[in-house]
This record gives sequence, structure tokens and C-alpha cells, in this order.
Amino acid sequence: MLRIRKLSASIDGKPILRGIDLDVRAGEVHAIMGPNGSGKSTFAQVLAGRDIYKVVADEVTFNGRDLLQMAPEIRAREGIFLAFQYPIEIPGVSNLYFLRAAVNAVRSHRGLPELDAVDFMSYAREQAKALGIDDAMLKRSLNEGFSGGEKKRNEIFQMTLLEPRLAILDESDSGLDIDALKIVADGINAMRSPERAIIVVTHYQRLLNYVVPDYVHVLAGGRIVRSGGKELAMELEEKGYGWLEHERSECKPDRAQPSKNEAVTS
Amino acid sequence: MSTVLTEQNIYAAQFSSMRGRLPGNRLPWLERLRQKGMDDFLALGFPTTKLENWKYTNVAPIRRIVFEPAQDRPLTPLTGTLEIVSSASPRLVFVNGWFSPTLSSVNSGLNFHLLNMGQALQDPDRAGVIERHLGRYTGTSDQAFAAWNTAFFTDGAYIEIPRGKAVEQPIYFTFISADDGKPRACYPRNLIVAGEGSQVTVVESFLGFDDSAYLTNTVTEIAAGPGAVIDYYKVECESPQGFHVAVIDAHLERDASLTSNSTSFGGRLVRNDLNVALDGKGAHCTLNGLFAVDGQRLVDNHTRIEHMRPHASSRELYKGVLAGNAEGVFNGAIVVRENAQKTDAVQYSKNLLLSRDAQINTKPQLEIRNNDVRCFHGATIGQMDADAIFYLKSRGIDEVEASRILVRGFGGEIIDAIRVPTVRNELERLLDSWVDSGAPEARQIKYWEAS
Repeated sequence: MLRIRKLSASIDGKPILRGIDLDVRAGEVHAIMGPNGSGKSTFAQVLAGRDIYKVVADEVTFNGRDLLQMAPEIRAREGIFLAFQYPIEIPGVSNLYFLRAAVNAVRSHRGLPELDAVDFMSYAREQAKALGIDDAMLKRSLNEGFSGGEKKRNEIFQMTLLEPRLAILDESDSGLDIDALKIVADGINAMRSPERAIIVVTHYQRLLNYVVPDYVHVLAGGRIVRSGGKELAMELEEKGYGWLEHERSECKPDRAQPSKNEAVTS
Repeated sequence: MSTVLTEQNIYAAQFSSMRGRLPGNRLPWLERLRQKGMDDFLALGFPTTKLENWKYTNVAPIRRIVFEPAQDRPLTPLTGTLEIVSSASPRLVFVNGWFSPTLSSVNSGLNFHLLNMGQALQDPDRAGVIERHLGRYTGTSDQAFAAWNTAFFTDGAYIEIPRGKAVEQPIYFTFISADDGKPRACYPRNLIVAGEGSQVTVVESFLGFDDSAYLTNTVTEIAAGPGAVIDYYKVECESPQGFHVAVIDAHLERDASLTSNSTSFGGRLVRNDLNVALDGKGAHCTLNGLFAVDGQRLVDNHTRIEHMRPHASSRELYKGVLAGNAEGVFNGAIVVRENAQKTDAVQYSKNLLLSRDAQINTKPQLEIRNNDVRCFHGATIGQMDADAIFYLKSRGIDEVEASRILVRGFGGEIIDAIRVPTVRNELERLLDSWVDSGAPEARQIKYWEAS
């Protein structure tokens, strides 16, 4: 589904990702872990199409198509979803209005009829229940005045409504108490299916107790320094990220190598 | 100097030839009022940018055109386009400043007075009320356009609510500007008189229907008796070549309350002067404004709230969205008189610039002659938030729709506070279409077709 070769990204000339290789197949759950500043969020944002980064790669394909050539809204319509670490507040725009605009944009791209306000309301209510989102929260301005937990639940809710093919969850667990964490984890697990892939980006192993990954990758200094099964997460929890530092130092600094494909998202 | 005199002479000549045909021409008090208006206009001349109040708004484009007094032309081509359907709410419709009985609809048996000024002046009782109020709140000695209007006004809406009467349906005053083959000026003059403890909602709208140059020079006076509650909505949608200069003066007695909601979408040059005198203990006004400007256009909102008595309060929020090379002006004066203790005034001006070339001049102007007051003002100027745009795009929403959502969110604070659903819905739609394609066409506006 997702194939990444030598993905590098920089901002204002400062490199953040330094050549990432990753393959994600349908049905898989990958966890990307790593210390603060390792490039986890940048990686998530670059996949969603954030245009503040200069992106260079040999290959980034999504279902065989060049992802870097797609505008962010096209990626979303093609099935990529990013749950934001810090969801944006938009005063004056109701959550419901925003959600319907998003769902209908994706639906019409997929050749499905758009939902009117009434149909959408009943569809949204049904999905909202499981995440503990009530009518009041649907009608409030998008993320405005939401607590940290409400914002994260609202992101998972959006994912549920948009039914992505590849969901990227950026620190969807941070700042949550155990009850909220379980709700978020249940929401993610409900999305697991043989047709869908999920990338969970997290600093802590905690969420992975509930959302058990097939693969765990450790990102450090903008590179994947180790990959393994779910037991790698346990190891990290025990030992911290320090024991990987030597592996990081073994990595050679970037060389300015000509790559096959270059793309600057804009 | 000589050219200025020439221009003024043109209007002096127009006045001499038309004054005999204007409403109330047999009423001596009105004759005197009109004459004073003309004299003041001739003495003042057109304002220049040297005047503090007109610093950012150059009316030279208005001065350069000779506007003929607009004629009451046959409306056959208009009626089809307007598609006015029967409305539960009473409405007075004026075309080029003249009353249109065919487009208007006033139910019989109303227990308040609603009629056009021309007709009201023929009724001695109404004329007596009008005499007490007309020109009392809008002075002519220091406002050239108001002076000009006072001399020339052709007709307008008159509403008088008796003491204690609450009018439930919103009342619509609609002013249509339609091509009559030459640059023309329309001079509507409105008067709202709300008796003690009465309540009324008025929706005043200006719609331009052609692409030639014209001027709407309008004045509305509002008199709120003790405890009266008035909701006043103004919707300005003039044509791209239309000039719009408006003076609105409200006078509030003890415990009276005025909520004004002014939106501007159209016009080449728009100037609104909204002045509120809180001339009674505990009087309150809320002034909300929203203007969306694009292209080479200019919208200038000047407001002045005068706290004249103790315990009066005011809340003000004006929001501007500016695109292209548009210019916006907000000047909000708050005056607190010596004896106006416990004044409570809050003013905000918030602006969203959608292009680098758009410009906003926002200026609070506080004159406080009392220590026992709470007075706050703030102004912000911002751009479209790139993070918010990306967030929306990452959900599949394209650039145009994303801008529409953000502008709607920005305008929502004003639009959501509108208590008349048809007006609220229509303004929402107008703002959306403004984001897509700039100033909306009056032909597309249907909000007065109340359901």
C-alpha cells in the first residue's frame, strides 16, 4: 500500500528526515516510536502533504501512485488520514458543518452521492456514540475550547467517518488519562481491517498495550534505526531510547546523493 | 475652488427645479428644513481627505460625476427579475428612492403605523410626529451628505410603534437601484419612532441592479422612547459601480436598547456613519458590523457612541474581510460625557486580510470626560491561518472550500447573532458566494422573501 524509499525532508535548510525506507501493506499496523525531536511528527505531516517541508525521495508511492505529486486534499480523498497531534481550533465553524464538508469531499471523489444535513446527522450520531461524543460537541465550533481528550477523540471520530485506507495517528495518546486512552484505542481497533493500514506514531509504549502493532520501528535522528515486532516496544519501555544511541551514531551523515525522484511539495 | 462651486451650483439648480415636487412641499417646517439642508450643503461642499473624519475616504469620484435626480421609472423589467413572492412580513420597497406600491406589501389592520414618508406627511397626525423627529437627530451643519439628503429626499420608510406595542414580524425596508439611463442619485429618508416600552425589528436593505454609476445618499433616524427595544439590520448590496453614503442617527432614552447589525457586501465606495446617543440612564446599544470587500472597492464604517447619562452601556464589534486591492476603514468613537458615571463600553475591531494588497485602517477614538467608567477597546488584523488551511485540506476539503469555511467562521460571530432566520441564512449564503466570486449580484438576493 505504502512504499517509501530514501525519504528526506528539511525545513529552512535544516534536515529532519534523513532517508527513511518503509513498506506498509494492507491489514498491517505499524508503530513508529522515537525520542522527542526524532522526526516522528514531521514524517506524519509529510505523508499528509504539509507544504512547509522540502521533501526529497527516491520513491513514495501509495497504492502504486506517486504520493508526493498529490495535493493534501487529494491524498485525503484517496484515503490517507492524519490524526493531528495538535488539532486546529476553528472558531465560528461548527464541528458538524466541517465534518459534513469533509465527508462529502471524500464521498464525491469516490463516486458516492453526497449526504444532506439530515442524513449526515444520523450517520454522524451513530458513529459518535461509541466515542462518547454528544450532540453538544457536534454543534460546537471545531475544536474550540475542547479539552485535550476531546480533541483527540474528535480526531478519531473524523477518522471513523472518513474511512481512510491508510490512517496515520500522530501521538493520539498523548495527554490522555487511562479511560480516554481506552476509548481512543477502541476507536483505532475498530478501524483495523484487512483492507486498511494504520501507522501509529507515539513516544510511549502505553497505547500499544491496547493497539497491538505488527511492526515497531524506532526513529532517531531522522532515520529508522531499528525495526522489529511488538516485543521491540516492550524493550524500549524497559530500557528507554538511550540504548539505541550507539546505533544512531553509527549511521553515516547524509551525503548529497542524486536521487531518482525529487519533489518539493507546494 | 471655482469647479467646486460649479458642482454645487448644479445641485442648487436641481434643487430649485425639483423642490416643488418633493413630498411635504406644502409644509412650511419641512420647507425650512430642506432649505437649511441645501444651504448647509452649499456651504460645506464635498468633504475632503483633509477632514479627520474623511482622512481615508476620498469622495472625489462622487464629486466628479454629475448625478441627476433619479426618476420613478416603470418597473416592468424589474418585477420579473425580483421574483418577490408573498411574504408574511410587511415590506416597503423603493425604487431609485421613490416608493413602489406594486412591490410593497403592507397588511391592513396593523396596530402600528407603517407607510412611506410621502404618504405619512399628508396625514396631519403623522406629520406632527414627523415634525418632532425629522432632522432632530441628524444635523446638517457639519455633515455634507446628510445636508444634501435633507434637501433632496424623495421618499422613504416611516414606522411609528405606539407605546407598549411589540411588533413580532420583522419589517422590511428595501431600496432598489435600477438603471434609468444616466448617472443618478437616490435620496431615501427613513424614520423609525418607537414609543415607550415598544419593540420592533427593521431590516433595511440596499440592492443595486445595474452596472452604471449611481449614488445612494440615505439617512435613517431612529428615536427610541424609554425602554423601547429596537433591532435594526442593514444590508448593503449595491452594484459594483454604485456609491453608497449613509448616515444613521439613533437617539435612545432611558433603558432603551438598540441592536444594530450592519453588513456591507457591494458598492464601489461605501461609507456608513452610525451615531448613537445614549441619552437616558441605563440605555444600551450593541453595534455589530461585517464588511466583505474585494477588487478596488472601499468600505468605510464610522461609528460614534455618545454616553450622555449614567449607567449606559455599549458593545461594539466590527469585522472586516478584505481581498484584492480593497480598502477598509473602521473608525469607532466612544464619547463619555462628564455626568455619564458607570459607563460600560467595549469595542472591538477585527479584520481578516486575504491578500497582501488589501488594506485596513482601524482606529478607536475615545473621549472620556469621567473617571467612573469601564471602557475597553481592541483591534486585530490577521491573515488566513496556514495551519487551519492545511488541517481542512488534510480532510479532503479543497482550497476554495477551505477559504469559504474560514471566512464563514470569521463572519460567523456576527452572522450567528442575527435573530431573523431569513436574514441570517441569506447573509451566510452571500458571504459564501462572496468568497467564490466577489461582490454578489443583487439579482441573486432573495432574503426578503420571508417564508
